[in-house]
Formats: sequence, C-alpha cells, structure tokens
Amino acid sequence: MDFKLTEEQELIRANMREFAQTYVDPIAAEIDENSRFPAEVIKKLGEGGWMGMPFSPEYGGQGVDYVTYAIAVEELSRSCAATGFTMSVHTGLACNPIALFGNEEQKKKYLTPLAKGEHLGAFALTEPGAGTDVGGATSTAVLDGDEYVLNGVKTFTSNGPVADTYVTFAWTNPEDKRKGMSCFIVPKGTPGLSVGDHFMKMGIRASQTSEIIFKDCRIPKENLVGKPGDGLKIAMSCLDHGRIGIAAQAVGIAQAALDEALAYSKQRIQFGKPISRNQAIQWMLADMQTDITAGRFMYYYAAYLKDQGLPFSKEASMAKLFCSEMCFKHASKAVQIFGGYGYCKGQKVERLLRDAKITEIYEGTSEAQRMTIAGSLLR
Amino acid sequence: MLEIICCFKWVVDEAYLKPDSVGKIDLEMAEYKISNYDRNAIEEAVRLKEQYGGNVTAITVAAPDATKGIKNALSRGPDKAYFINGEGFDHLEPAQYAIILEEVIAKEIPYDLIICGEGSSDLYAQQVGPRLAERLGIPFIGSVQKVQIENKQITVERKTDEGVEVLTAPLPVLIAVVPDINIPRVPGVRDTLAASKKPVIEIAAGDLGKDYAPCLLQEELKVSTMERKCTYFGSEQEDIKAFVEALRKTGLLDGR
Repeated sequence: MDFKLTEEQELIRANMREFAQTYVDPIAAEIDENSRFPAEVIKKLGEGGWMGMPFSPEYGGQGVDYVTYAIAVEELSRSCAATGFTMSVHTGLACNPIALFGNEEQKKKYLTPLAKGEHLGAFALTEPGAGTDVGGATSTAVLDGDEYVLNGVKTFTSNGPVADTYVTFAWTNPEDKRKGMSCFIVPKGTPGLSVGDHFMKMGIRASQTSEIIFKDCRIPKENLVGKPGDGLKIAMSCLDHGRIGIAAQAVGIAQAALDEALAYSKQRIQFGKPISRNQAIQWMLADMQTDITAGRFMYYYAAYLKDQGLPFSKEASMAKLFCSEMCFKHASKAVQIFGGYGYCKGQKVERLLRDAKITEIYEGTSEAQRMTIAGSLLR
Repeated sequence: MLEIICCFKWVVDEAYLKPDSVGKIDLEMAEYKISNYDRNAIEEAVRLKEQYGGNVTAITVAAPDATKGIKNALSRGPDKAYFINGEGFDHLEPAQYAIILEEVIAKEIPYDLIICGEGSSDLYAQQVGPRLAERLGIPFIGSVQKVQIENKQITVERKTDEGVEVLTAPLPVLIAVVPDINIPRVPGVRDTLAASKKPVIEIAAGDLGKDYAPCLLQEELKVSTMERKCTYFGSEQEDIKAFVEALRKTGLLDGR
C-alpha cells in the first residue's frame, strides 16, 4: 500500500500548475464574464500534449496512466473550471469512445488529431427528453446503402459550437431498448449536421454548450463505432471514465476555494484581529481541507482501479458524487468567509460557487450516482 | 556545436511561505522550485542549443532530497544533469557553491558557455556566477538580456542603469542572465515524461575533494512586520496644519 505519487506525477502536477498560472489565471475572469471560448489556451494545451494524455503515442497520445491525467485535470480546474472541463470532456467522453471501442482506421483518422489536440471533440448523447434516462432518446440512424442517415436533436452538448469531431448516439433498432442504440462519429461540416446557439450558463461559462441537430445527416457506415447495438455500452463505459475527470475537476475547484479562503481569512481584520483567529472560520477551513483530501484520494483510487484494469464504475460514481457535493458546499463556505465581497463580481470565489454547481449535475447527477451506487450494493 | 552548462538552484517556493499566528515561518511544509532567474538560464541554454546545435548540461548543488528539482530541470530541455548533493548543501555560502561547481566542471564537463541566473530567488547574492568564472579563469558578463554567438565569439546585450551595453568576448565565457532575456517555456507532457529517461550523474558529498558544511546556521525565520499608524485628516486649512504638525512630531520632516 502506497499513498505517494511518483516523482513523475508530482512533476506533471507542478508543470500543469505552471501552465495554468502562465496562460489561464490571467484570462480566467474575462472568459467567464464574456462566456468566451479560450481557443488560444486550448491550442497551447494541445501543443503541450495535455489533450490526449491517456492515449497511446501510436495515436497521438502520451501514454500516461489515468491517475496522472486526472491530476492534470484537477490542477487546470484549480485555475479555471471551464478550461479544465473542456480538457476533461474532450479526453474522457469524445476521445475515449474511439480509443476504447473504435477500430484501427477510426483511431488513425479521428483519434490521432484529437489526441494531438489539433481537433476538439464533443460527446452528443443528451436529448431534450433524455437526460439521466438515456433510453428516452429519439434520435435514429437508418442504414441506407453504404451510409447511415441520422435524424434527431441533441442538447447540452459540451464543446458543441467549437468541436471538429462529434461522437453521437442514435437508435439503429428502436424496438430493442437494451441493444438498439449505436455510436457514431460525425465530423464537423457533414451536410445535415447543424450546431445551435451557445447556451448562456450560470457557471463554467467559458465552456461552449449547444444543441446539435441532425437532419438527414448522412455519414459513411465506417463511422459506426463498435458493432450496431453497442451504443449504450459505449456511452456508459465512457461516462464512467468521464466521472473520474469530473471528480478531479471538482477537487480542483474546491482547492481553489480553500486557497482563496485561507489567504483572505488571514488578511481580513475584524474586531482587531484576522478572522482566521476565530474558531468559526478555522472549522470551515479544517472541513474544507479534510474533504478535499478525502475527495482527492477517492478519485485517485477510481483512476488507480482503471489503470489496473479492474472494475471502477462504482468507485468513479462515488468519487464523482462525493467530490462534486463537497465542492459545492465548500465553494459556498468560501463565499461565506469573504462575506459581502465574495458575493460580488471580481472575486474568484463568486465564480467558483457558480462553477461548482454544474459538477453535481453533468455526467450523471448526484441522484443518478446514488442510483448506480445503491444498485451495485443491492444487486 | 556548443557545449552549454546551465547552473540552477532548488529553492523554497515563496508562494508556500505562510507565517503562523506569531509570525514564524515553517519550512517543513514548503514546496520547492527552480529559482526564478535560473529558469531563464535553462531556457536560454536550450534555445541556444536549438539555434546552434550542441548539448546542454544542467548542474546543481543541493540537498539529497532535491531529486524532484533534477527532473523539473530536465523537463525544461537539457540533455543531462549533474546532481551534486550532500546534507546541508541547500544552505551553503555562494563561495562554497562556486568552489564545488568549479571542482566538478573543471574535472569532467566540457563547456563553451556557462549560463547562470543573475541571482537566486532566496538569497540573491549574485556571487556564484562571477566567483565560478574567476575560479575557471574565464570572462564573466552579468545582467545579460540578449545573446548571439558567431565564430566562437559571444555578443551580448547587458542591461545597466545607464542603458544597454553591447559586449563581445571569446568563448568560453560565463554569463548571468536577467529575466528580460526570454519567457521560459512551460514543459509539456512529453517533455515531462522524457525527463525521467535522461541521464543524471550523481556526485555525493564524499566524492568531492573536501568537506563542506554550512557556515551560517539559521536559527529561526520570521516574517517582517510593518507598524502602521492611521490617522484621518480633513481637507480644511486647519486640517492641513494639523497634518503638517503631526508629520513634524514623527520626526520625518527634520533636516529639511
């Protein structure tokens, strides 16, 4: 049993910290305010090899383990949750379906530019009537000669307006609710694919989110990922991977909340002394540090299991559930410590609280995680 | 082909220095980093290598637990590193660092150019560079903000209070660089992973010609505090008089 990171993992953390301080901290408030996609930073992340960390170097990746990758997501999210999420959703949800279930051709053609960071990926699963209930989807894919014809509407597609490659899901056999859905790769610019307006969100505002509409969108049948009917399996597996990324993102946000709260509580003088001398504040700080440490080890563990080739679905759910809920709780405590100043624009904690909320919702709500965890207990 | 040596120091990251409630600083919890200007030194060495070809060797004298610093330096582009380590080597005097560096460099590392940071983030004594050049018997140029090399001759721009000085010197030479010289790259994933595979030549204290121990012993480290007095004045004429009177009482206006 060893709780120590390797020197390489610590160096990845330090170098990502340096990246975030150099390129992300200076613009984080501005891209939040303007809901602007930081294309220049994403390009730099790609050049540095950060956009395809866990994938084989054969396909443009860096071949690092999932623990190391998740550490980088945490450290980037500590500076900007939206940028951290863009990296996480690209890697965990857009690249993984191709890396884990795609064939050689698909890996060469689509995964390689994605993992190199030359292309950005999006994962279009959610539909207006199908959130947690993935089976409620209505999109269809009908084989017509050598092509599948896609029809349907996807919503809340992260990276939607800025992606080069979409991984999406549609019924090839709507009768079979368990094995009737299939997974497809749709490149940007395919006729019949249109991208809706970017949603104005409460938090992670620099991440771009939109509807994706398929109207008689014809794609070659080679773009089917896995076999017909593998869709649900692929989506669930990739969401398990994605949850490790969200847990890491949540820990990054919580760490940023602690960084801010700690610094402010030592400089804010009330009743002639720094408020950090008050036990009420000290207890908040102590609880933050405790939950952050616990959450960090939970996502390390889920990632470790994945690296060992062991089942990690339940652990990824537990990590995502715990980290996202503690993240929101402590971002709120950080605002409390800042008082009125924390409620105003211009303070990082105000952004952190808005950013924190989404971690309890996307890639499986807290309620969905509890369903998964309870299901595995009661099976 | 240039043989370039860049020297760096593994220092406490000041961002982690947090005083406790009585102002004492505990270094136990502190993180370490490559001294700020030494990052510029490493970056310049790597850029010159990329421009002219050659080899870059990073070298440090540090405590035995500074292995992270070696990997950190190597992730920034040098081809190999010398890690001279011993207990207490993080608190030696600049003169001692210069002696140790000279012993190792003169004995086993070929060089056309040695690059140091202008001063370290912790002590900023600005002594190791010039002392090392003196001991090696090569020219030293400090405050360098631009470098060009042609026909075994270096041309540098030196930043001075009076303006910019342009100097040339024959190689080999030792330069100390200021942060204006470049913006150090942030190592990517590939560079970071490659760092573990590069050769590190370790030299322990016992392998050196003599023993070195810190001359100065640090008993305690405390933050400096500033006493502030805050008095409010209005803007009426008598308020201004009261303000001047208050300044006089502090003694700050004496002798003027």
